[in-house]
Amino acid sequence: MNKLKLNYTSLSFLPILVCIPLGYQLINNIHFGGFKLFQEFLISAFNPKIDNEIIITVIKRLNETILIGFFSWLVSIIFGAFFGIISSNIFYKIFNIPNFFYRTIRFFLTIIRSIHEVVWGIILMQIYGINFSIGIIAICIPYIAVNSKVFAEQLETIDYKSFESINQINAPKFSSLLTLIWNPIINTFKNFGLYRLECSIRSSVILGLFGIGGIGTSIFLSFQTLNFRELWTYLWSLAILIILSGLLFKKIKFNTKNKILSIFFIAVFFITILFSFSYFLYFIFNINFENFNSVSSLFKSSSDLGLFDFFKLILETIILSLLSTGIAISLPPLVIGIFNSKSSKFFIKIFAFLLRLIPTPVILLTLLTFNNPSLSLAALTLGLHNAGITSKLLFTNLDSQDKRNYIAMKSLGISKKTSWLLGLFSQQAKSYLAYCAYRSDIIIRETAIVGVIGSVGLGWQLQESLSSFAWQEVTIVLIAYSSIAIVGELINGKIKNSLT
Amino acid sequence: MNKTVLELKNISYKYKNNLILNKVNLKINSGEKIALLGKSGSGKTTLISVLNGTIKPTQGEVKLFNESFEELDRKQKSKITTIWQDLRLIGDLSAEQNVNCGLLAKNNFFFAFKNLLNISSFKKAHKYMELCRLHNSIYDKKIRKLSGGQKQRVAIARSLIQESNILLADEPFNNLDPKLITTIKNLMLESVDKNDTKKSPKTILVALHRLDLLNDFDKVIGIRDGKIFFNIKRNNLKKIHLEKIY
Ligand SMILES: Nc1ncnc2c1ncn2[C@@H]1O[C@H](COP(=O)(O)OP(=O)(O)OP(=O)(O)O)[C@@H](O)[C@H]1O
Ligand SMILES: [Mg+2]
Repeated sequence: MNKLKLNYTSLSFLPILVCIPLGYQLINNIHFGGFKLFQEFLISAFNPKIDNEIIITVIKRLNETILIGFFSWLVSIIFGAFFGIISSNIFYKIFNIPNFFYRTIRFFLTIIRSIHEVVWGIILMQIYGINFSIGIIAICIPYIAVNSKVFAEQLETIDYKSFESINQINAPKFSSLLTLIWNPIINTFKNFGLYRLECSIRSSVILGLFGIGGIGTSIFLSFQTLNFRELWTYLWSLAILIILSGLLFKKIKFNTKNKILSIFFIAVFFITILFSFSYFLYFIFNINFENFNSVSSLFKSSSDLGLFDFFKLILETIILSLLSTGIAISLPPLVIGIFNSKSSKFFIKIFAFLLRLIPTPVILLTLLTFNNPSLSLAALTLGLHNAGITSKLLFTNLDSQDKRNYIAMKSLGISKKTSWLLGLFSQQAKSYLAYCAYRSDIIIRETAIVGVIGSVGLGWQLQESLSSFAWQEVTIVLIAYSSIAIVGELINGKIKNSLT
Repeated sequence: MNKTVLELKNISYKYKNNLILNKVNLKINSGEKIALLGKSGSGKTTLISVLNGTIKPTQGEVKLFNESFEELDRKQKSKITTIWQDLRLIGDLSAEQNVNCGLLAKNNFFFAFKNLLNISSFKKAHKYMELCRLHNSIYDKKIRKLSGGQKQRVAIARSLIQESNILLADEPFNNLDPKLITTIKNLMLESVDKNDTKKSPKTILVALHRLDLLNDFDKVIGIRDGKIFFNIKRNNLKKIHLEKIY
């Protein structure tokens, strides 16, 4: 008997053990009454509602979703670049600013980043009411911080030597700064820009589910009214949008040699900044203070939330993240490994696509048709959705990998599954785990979404506290959220470093 | 007596407990053509970095035009130009954009912006690139795509375009063929404005390994283990001097 060795391959499979407690709780929570509903949901997938009326609605709603996604992308990428610059080393070196500021800005951005856009959305909705621009602002807040991190990381690649040489020329400081950061910034726009646009659009769908508008809201409403055929019309049209935009984005290539195009980009850049500022001012001066007044009158000086309850919620959130991460890590290699014939691969890919496509709240709601709300159910949802994402990466990497080992092993008479495991997957395991570590950062943040809907953890508490205007509780929950996310990010950072 | 342009007073530079420059005293007078000799790792590059203000010495004082380096303003400091041993060009920019970077000190922010957008004037850059025998087919090529000698000459052109009267060059003849070496050497020695020679003769300090190139210099400095071993007129250079430093 071989001893179980803890290498990267086995580490990729081990987390599947989370399914034991998870399955136990899920089985205990099944209620069979809803199976019919679930069946109906599945069948409707092949029979979506199609008529003139709904097509017009789809176009209108998709339009809103795209608009929210596009504007939040535009604003968040431009301001992300700005904050990326002022939180990068090079800025502080050129202007001789003490490191203290640099750390403060980075810390501040980390906190903002740690809170999911849905949370920002819910809070803003509570304060300002439902409003098109709330969606944009809610996405922009964390996205500016996320983008700024991406930009700052690219700016760290600037060679210190070229900084010294530009510095020695003794140009005006802004000229030096611009000359040094120009290419890293442009490259970040090129490499991450469209990907971030896709993210913004997805986020605007999710925010829609919470009432902001667009296709998300339609999805949510059709689910609530159990109009599954309509629901699938929306889901499929979303799928078409995502596939089409994916194809389109592949075609788009930025050509920075084209002067007219560069000038156009710069014009858009400045117009966006001007527009955002004026809008920001407009927004500030037009705050609906009535809401605020009601807020202050309801402001509770002491919170009902006991310390014990609070810790329980934190613990729940952490367990939720761990369970979901376990599923997201182990499910894809397990499923791909067991069913690795050509035809089953095709079905797995379709299934993974659906898991990515259907927003987590909808997955959760469908599962809720035959299962009582529980932590395990929320974890399963989040795990499945993210497994859809990790499996896409795994497929891409496996497909592009050198298959000689695998073929050689098979020809030696080693079973297909074993050859796949040792000849193909084992070489991917390390980078796959590194990607999963990065993914788990996102999972921690997304616990908020399933928390709100599935009544678990801090997400649920946030919703409760918000609806009773208990701002102190809201603040506490937010602090707890960002602490978990920041600690998680630190741990994942360590894991990632050891894996790369 | 010529006036002193650059002066090092009792300079020491320590890096992680290694003494890289050890109590260096040096006066560079206006118009002097100095060759800096020393074996690999002796501290030539470090000395040049101290002279142009890139490295702050652990001890001692650097003076430019008789004033402490730190107290000078940007315009004053920009009177020194450097050709780096490792070139320090910006890899993602084109050759002509890199050369134009030499003009940043004399222009405003808008010039930098236009340079990056490729809509500034490259007339002067092209002039200097031509002087360095760079073919016009490489003007708009990215630095990454150039050959070693081409990169070397772009770095030289970037330095010459600054038209400074104090030139520090760290092994500028690397990667160049003999004919190019003569051309470049003459360019470096030439005063910036020929009509103005009397007012501001060009001061140059060149770190080099090739002893056959010494003829054009009027002073030779020998450095070893971060210490200046000799600082003499070239005519007085004897074999014994070289034995000391190599
Ligand atoms: N960035 C640095 N970090 C640590 N040590 C350094 C650094 N730069 C130079 N040194 C050390 O300082 C000493 C002098 O280096 P320097 O580059 O000045 O020598 P050099 O005379 O220019 O040599 P070469 O002819 O090879 O260019 C060497 O021992 C080197 O190892
Ligand atoms: Mg050197």
